[in-house]
Amino acid sequence: MREKRGFWSRLEDIPREVLYGLLLIAFIIPMIKPIGFPVPVSPETQKWYDTIDKLPAGSVIMIDFGYSGGGEPELGPMAVAVYHHIFKRGGLKAIAMSTSIEGPLLWDKAMAEVNPSQYGAQYGVDYIHIGYIAGTETAMAAVGKDLRATTSTDYKGNPLDQYPIMEGIKDASSFDLLIVFTTGGDQSEGWVRQWVTPYKTPYLCSVLAMMKPTMLPYQKAGQIIALTSGAQAGEMEYLVKVPARGIKSADVMTLTHLLIVVYVIVGNIAYYGKKYSGG
Amino acid sequence: MSLLIRRQIPIALVFITALLIMMDYFLKLPPLDARGVSWTSPVVKDLQNWGVILTAFALGFGAVNLFILHSRHISRRTVKQWPFSVWLLLMIILFTVVGVSYGATSPEYSWLYNSSYFALSATVYSSLGFYMTSGIYRALRARNVDAVILLVTGGIALLKNAPAVAVNAPFVVSIDSWLNAIPTTSAMRGIMISAALGAIALGIRTMTGKETGFLGRLTEAEKGG
Repeated sequence: MREKRGFWSRLEDIPREVLYGLLLIAFIIPMIKPIGFPVPVSPETQKWYDTIDKLPAGSVIMIDFGYSGGGEPELGPMAVAVYHHIFKRGGLKAIAMSTSIEGPLLWDKAMAEVNPSQYGAQYGVDYIHIGYIAGTETAMAAVGKDLRATTSTDYKGNPLDQYPIMEGIKDASSFDLLIVFTTGGDQSEGWVRQWVTPYKTPYLCSVLAMMKPTMLPYQKAGQIIALTSGAQAGEMEYLVKVPARGIKSADVMTLTHLLIVVYVIVGNIAYYGKKYSGG
Repeated sequence: MSLLIRRQIPIALVFITALLIMMDYFLKLPPLDARGVSWTSPVVKDLQNWGVILTAFALGFGAVNLFILHSRHISRRTVKQWPFSVWLLLMIILFTVVGVSYGATSPEYSWLYNSSYFALSATVYSSLGFYMTSGIYRALRARNVDAVILLVTGGIALLKNAPAVAVNAPFVVSIDSWLNAIPTTSAMRGIMISAALGAIALGIRTMTGKETGFLGRLTEAEKGG
């Protein structure tokens, strides 16, 4: 015969379908009808924005599109917002490479979202992608030492020499800033070892929110100028004044995080209710 | 095969390569050229480019290996495996044919990637949120002091990452910043320094031939005791 369970016991064991269902509702409502919760701009995002904004005209930026498809929903909006900023600011050269094999495809996707032509930016003149370079840290070290010896073509297979943006670009010393979007710890930490330490390249790093604690020691040591997670994309979009996926997800994040806090409280009430009432 | 080929020569190669790369990273050994670049720099540049080429080759080699492994599963009709192996091989063939025919950056290849692999991997990663929610509901209980500390810090991190809460309750941001700056950074530094010391020890053992995993299958005598 089935044992009769008390209220607290049943509350403690709420079926996961109920938990998932409520979470799904908290996801869907703001996606359909944005609530418009305020988006705070953290000092880190502001520092990131200011670093790009204060670059002298003609500065060259190396951008690692090092994230995978799984991380795109988090890091993609941030990368798009940063490219908007670079093009809006003008006078900067953005040279991208990928330490992730999916990088070139995701870069294409991001560029379709940014639409650089709206800022008058041209491929090969203002921005370029030099392709996926295998070997992660070895690739970073090799590109830092001699870019042309590591790859002689862009991601489409066209010779780099035909692009004006590549004029005078030899090694890490040709770059004024390094920006990394990555889902991999090897990449985010590797750039510190292979570029920041030997060449003193200023470094902006954007990782998955769960990776941030790993990168904090580098930031506190001054090796990373600004460290953000993709979840802060809404802040960047607000600063760049190009609202998109990031700001939309800020409402979702507020609702879902609050719901999880409620889950924790209810779970604990159920736990103690069961403990002191005997079921 | 003689011990010289199976053990001594690979260890010597590893020792020399590792030594060159470390010398180039940490020291500026004379003679220097007109630009002040050490003689080790061009040597290490070549070694790094070999590394890039070998890694790219390994990707292709991995695909061939997958093909062989899953072909075996299909020919042996391995229970609960062979239909998935068929699907995997079909996908490898499809992506290879489209990639080779149209180019890996073509709209055709991008469409295939975006509508299959990208959508699936983003979905799988996002679905973790649901599992974590269920886990948090059932596991984050104030059972003892340790659990209370975890619960409170987790709660603060959750609230700080809710943008509207961070705006309306700035004290949550201040507490979260302190947690990140002091306890988290200290703990991560400890972990990183320990891991780095371990990596140095492993590196020295590998260079001196005490670690033989990279040499493949060796007998106890060949491992050197």
